Amino acid sequence: MIRSLDDFARIAREKGPKKLAVLAPEDEEFMLAVKTSWQKGYIEPVLIGNTEKMKRVAEKVEFDIGGFERIVGDDRQAIADLGLSMLFSGKLEIVSKGQIPTSYIYRSIIREENRAGSGMTVSVVSFWEVPGLDHLIALTDTGVSIKPDIKAKAEILKNALFVYRLLGNPKPRVAVLSGQREIGGALGSYRDFDLLRRAAAAGDFGECEILDATSFTEIFLGGRDRPVDCISMDPGRMPHILLVPCLDTGNIICKLDFFLDVTRCSLVATSRGPVCIPARSDTSDNIVQQLAMCVVVTDRMKGEVK
Amino acid sequence: MLRSFKEILEAARDGGAKKVAAPCAGKKDVELLGKAAGSGLTIPCLVGDGKAIEGMLKGVPLASLEHEIVDEKDPDKALGRSIALIREGRADMLMQGSVDHQALLDAVMDARSGLRRGKLTSYISVFQLPKTGKLILVTDTFINNNPTLAEKQLILEHALRLADTLGIDAPKVAALAAIEQINLNIPSTLDAAILSKMSERKQFGKAVVEGPLDIDCALSEAAAARKGLRSVVTGNVDIYLVPEIDTGHLLAEALVFFGKLESAGAIMGTTNPVILNVPFVSAENRLVEFAIAALMCKKGEDHA
Repeated sequence: MIRSLDDFARIAREKGPKKLAVLAPEDEEFMLAVKTSWQKGYIEPVLIGNTEKMKRVAEKVEFDIGGFERIVGDDRQAIADLGLSMLFSGKLEIVSKGQIPTSYIYRSIIREENRAGSGMTVSVVSFWEVPGLDHLIALTDTGVSIKPDIKAKAEILKNALFVYRLLGNPKPRVAVLSGQREIGGALGSYRDFDLLRRAAAAGDFGECEILDATSFTEIFLGGRDRPVDCISMDPGRMPHILLVPCLDTGNIICKLDFFLDVTRCSLVATSRGPVCIPARSDTSDNIVQQLAMCVVVTDRMKGEVK
Repeated sequence: MLRSFKEILEAARDGGAKKVAAPCAGKKDVELLGKAAGSGLTIPCLVGDGKAIEGMLKGVPLASLEHEIVDEKDPDKALGRSIALIREGRADMLMQGSVDHQALLDAVMDARSGLRRGKLTSYISVFQLPKTGKLILVTDTFINNNPTLAEKQLILEHALRLADTLGIDAPKVAALAAIEQINLNIPSTLDAAILSKMSERKQFGKAVVEGPLDIDCALSEAAAARKGLRSVVTGNVDIYLVPEIDTGHLLAEALVFFGKLESAGAIMGTTNPVILNVPFVSAENRLVEFAIAALMCKKGEDHA
């Protein structure tokens, strides 16, 4: 089972290079990440974007892009559309975001999924590597659905379970998070937890366990009336998947890596392969880790039916 | 400007002990009150069955410290009696004791007999950042489920008052949302933008409210710069204003359990400080909450 980001890097070296479209790598951090990933043998890049801008940043990071396939494009939506159509037509195995708004990429993915008739809900899975924890934590949906209803949450959970099972864990443990407290009545997020737990018990999500805990207090302490103890964290109690209530919560919590001692890697799992969606604020090292993860996920998706 | 929980405790002690009304105090409450009284922060006023309280005090530190017992045999009336003591000026602050959270807040917010000061109460989590040597406030992390824009303004004003109590001058506020751009489909970005505009027009005094800010821009000046965002707030936030309770509560918990940050808190919007039992605040830091409450008392009417 894949338990760390190093595992992704190790396997990516074995399974790469994978053909990957980079959408508008017109920023030094992104181009540096492409260069490093190529040097490590993870990817064979196809560069789509403004030729002059790509050349300029490639020169800055001392990367000779002359030997790679380059497709000229300026319009951001057209670049996203082209990259995703190449993924869905099987011309390449992964797509990665460069200097392009993520919403454009989501739009292209949704169009391609609709065209393919997959019925797949598009969602983002962000992995956290936490020191002292023996497995990765997947937070979802951290990028697409603003306020998912119960139906959307069920699909988002299915996507995350699919990705987590690719890591080699057949029965992930899930916490459906909520801000439910001792006051304020039942929150919508808590009602969703209850419904999802029932659906899981009925077998709707295959092999998995939804924990009877919706807050970090309950996850870490085993209840809301226990003394706070931040020193000891029982890895056995920490779920594999954290289903967040809404986009605000998901994005704010998952990007706490800017403050906490955790490392984050995110991807969108489409029916045809992963889409790497680094934040515009991510560093090249972090983007390389995310590309490695996508290489492994695409490799393991072969033969799997979503 | 206070920079740590230690400094809060020291500053509170300087103001002298405040009388705290404690309805139906349990064993843990008595232990905590003993510590608070022992450190010169409070004079406990235990409201409940007098004989039972005396029995509970046997052999515990509080027994030998200044305290008061108000005999109220009916547990259902102990909370009302405690609030009445405060309204009569015989106590300065209220602690939850073993009263149910919702019952406490309902009684506090009662327009006729409670401690209500304005339209709403809010809860602010106070975190100590050891690396930078500063305190940050995150609100609302416990009380309001889905505040409207008008309610967010009140929650923000509460936070600015607490920041003032803690000596944070011209506080920098991050009005958080999922993204740093205004998206008409994401209400939190609109609310944050409006509050930010109000700040620009000096509607929050010297405070600078920046929003919408996603958490990476709020936490890191470099991350914000990469997104083309430059502000005095990015990377140096004093107050994090969250969109709603799912985010607020989980964010506070994440900072405690993943970040291992020390956390305390305060209820705002009441005539007198109220100390709530929040599950992610450690017993040790409950003492800091007494200290924050004492500082609020010291500040007087304008504390909340």
